[in-house]
Amino acid sequence: MTQREKNFPALLERLTPECQRIIVQYEQRRSALLPMMHLFQEHEGYCSAEAMDAVARMLDLTNAEVEATVSFYTLLYRRPVGKYMLQVCRGLACSINGAEDIMAYFRESLGIGHLETTDDGVFSYEEVECLAACDRASCMQVNLDFVYSLTPHAIDEMLASMRSGTYSTPPMAQIEAPGRTWAISQESDIARGEKSSGAIGVPLPNNAGGVGDRSGIIMLDHIIEHDVEFFTKTSERAVVDSRAVVEISQEEGSHASH
Amino acid sequence: MPVTKVLTAGIGEVDLRGIDAYRQRGGYKQWERAVREMQPVDVLNLAEKSALRGRGGAGFPTGRKWSFLPKDKHPRYLVCNCDEAEPGTFKDHMLLEETPHQVIEGMLIGAYAIASHHAFIYIRGEFRRGYEIFCAALEEAKRAGYVGKNIFGSGFDLELTVHRGAGAYICGEETALLNSLEGRRGEPRLKPPFPAVEGLYGMPTVVNNVETLAYLVPILERGAQWFAAVGTERSKGYKIVSVSGHVRNPGNYEIALGTTIRELIEIAGGLRPERKLMAVQPGGGSSACVFEEQLDLPYDYESLAKAGSMVGSGAMVVFDDTTDFVKAAYNLARFFAHESCGQCTPCREGGDWIARVLNRLVNYRGVPGDIQMLSRVSSGITGLNLCPLGDSIEPFLKSVMVRFPDQFESRILAPQAQPA
Repeated sequence: MTQREKNFPALLERLTPECQRIIVQYEQRRSALLPMMHLFQEHEGYCSAEAMDAVARMLDLTNAEVEATVSFYTLLYRRPVGKYMLQVCRGLACSINGAEDIMAYFRESLGIGHLETTDDGVFSYEEVECLAACDRASCMQVNLDFVYSLTPHAIDEMLASMRSGTYSTPPMAQIEAPGRTWAISQESDIARGEKSSGAIGVPLPNNAGGVGDRSGIIMLDHIIEHDVEFFTKTSERAVVDSRAVVEISQEEGSHASH
Repeated sequence: MPVTKVLTAGIGEVDLRGIDAYRQRGGYKQWERAVREMQPVDVLNLAEKSALRGRGGAGFPTGRKWSFLPKDKHPRYLVCNCDEAEPGTFKDHMLLEETPHQVIEGMLIGAYAIASHHAFIYIRGEFRRGYEIFCAALEEAKRAGYVGKNIFGSGFDLELTVHRGAGAYICGEETALLNSLEGRRGEPRLKPPFPAVEGLYGMPTVVNNVETLAYLVPILERGAQWFAAVGTERSKGYKIVSVSGHVRNPGNYEIALGTTIRELIEIAGGLRPERKLMAVQPGGGSSACVFEEQLDLPYDYESLAKAGSMVGSGAMVVFDDTTDFVKAAYNLARFFAHESCGQCTPCREGGDWIARVLNRLVNYRGVPGDIQMLSRVSSGITGLNLCPLGDSIEPFLKSVMVRFPDQFESRILAPQAQPA
């Protein structure tokens, strides 16, 4: 059990009155879902499984209903993120006014890309859609506070003051160390054409182990051709599948002989 | 025609966030007058006479929208749409942060007009600062007795709830907004039933834009005639236009509808020195471009519609000769692909394909047939979706592909350079 998990019951008790105040504002309890998730995220830094579970119980919903809703919204993070969430606008009005250079400068300065977190857990970086401040391009948000008319020099100063802890916007709550990426997003895979956008997360049917690889032949080819290390589960599956291949080919052979 | 400051009066000159500053300029007088002296139907008639049309994008006549509510179904709700996210639009953001009391007063008057006792405002998740400013203003209004029970001793009760979104462009579509307000995924609903009949919690609901509701205050103060006196035949009154892109002074400018696009560009300081105008996108990311020879078009609903574009949310992006229109098209296509909720196949799959092909062109790796594919796929998306998001992909792309074919064709690899 992590420290965060241990502390969760106390946090829940502390936030319950606030949750009740939110709930009574609406004719139907379910409407309180987004405001309550915002509240938990403010305290934990992200929407933890425990928080979603607690919200589900308070609103008489299933966990699946809460997670399905939370996963729709880009400002609700389902994994821990950095203390400073840097969200740079990639909208059209910014991008024709130098946002591409600004984004490149950020990536270079931080050593991370879109939807990634620095190893020290201080910065998370995201390129976001139009932030409705096109008259002051290029713009960005730091923990949802606007920063306008960005220049490389201003970025240097900003990052330095964040590192030294003197930046005007306070850091976000971070009670669990973030991983390198926080978003469950396969955008880059889609861009490379490796995954169908229609079912994000589902491999193409004929990929190794995909739904079109029922007999496991593609998987076997993969094992033979590539020197890859597999997890136990995968090699187990390869063994099971190889038996199936033998059975199927025997069956086919017997059909052919008739 | 010059800039006329109605809703934007005082912004940038004085701090209008506090209730005293707002009251000094006559704030909440119209709300008091509505409750004390007018019947809801009087307010509705006034809105109808003023010919005010929705300022969020669709441009639907506000009074007509209100009149669709069934008479015998209660409770009914007013929802103020402050999920402003159309690329290039930043007017509601300004109204929310600079004059929150004006937004509150407009909402109160709108709710009174439809005899609603519970109004909501849905604020875009990114506007956290605006949300805080609005909540503080609402507290002041509650303490002053403008919101709550028995307002001005009239027996009229009205609650106002502030709801924060969490990052989803699609929630600006009214039925997606209602789903989000109900704590669901922001997926648009099938229409009919329209929200006026079955909206929030299945009850009659009106969803109006921030700017639309805010205009009710000056309309009550100065009369429907005053508002309807300016504008063109079917586009009356004033509108805040967010001008951005390649102009010297980007910003929000409030103008009488019918001001020409050329005048609007001049109001925003004109182009930068030595630059030539290439295109103007007059109504947000979903609208088709207009070009140099169309600059004398009046900025109003019917003229822009006739020219194949639209006023939309009033976001005008100006492009000069430094613009790479393939990149611009990719930028918007990627935006719509990213923001598609995924319910309708043409939008979900088509948007992604278009973004992918355009990405190829941006990187000079287009293959022969790509341009035809873009036309075919984009026209194949239009008209086949539950909401207008999918239909928003085609207009800009088509208009710049027709106008600047060379920019697109030069991105196609010669056959010998094709990868095997």
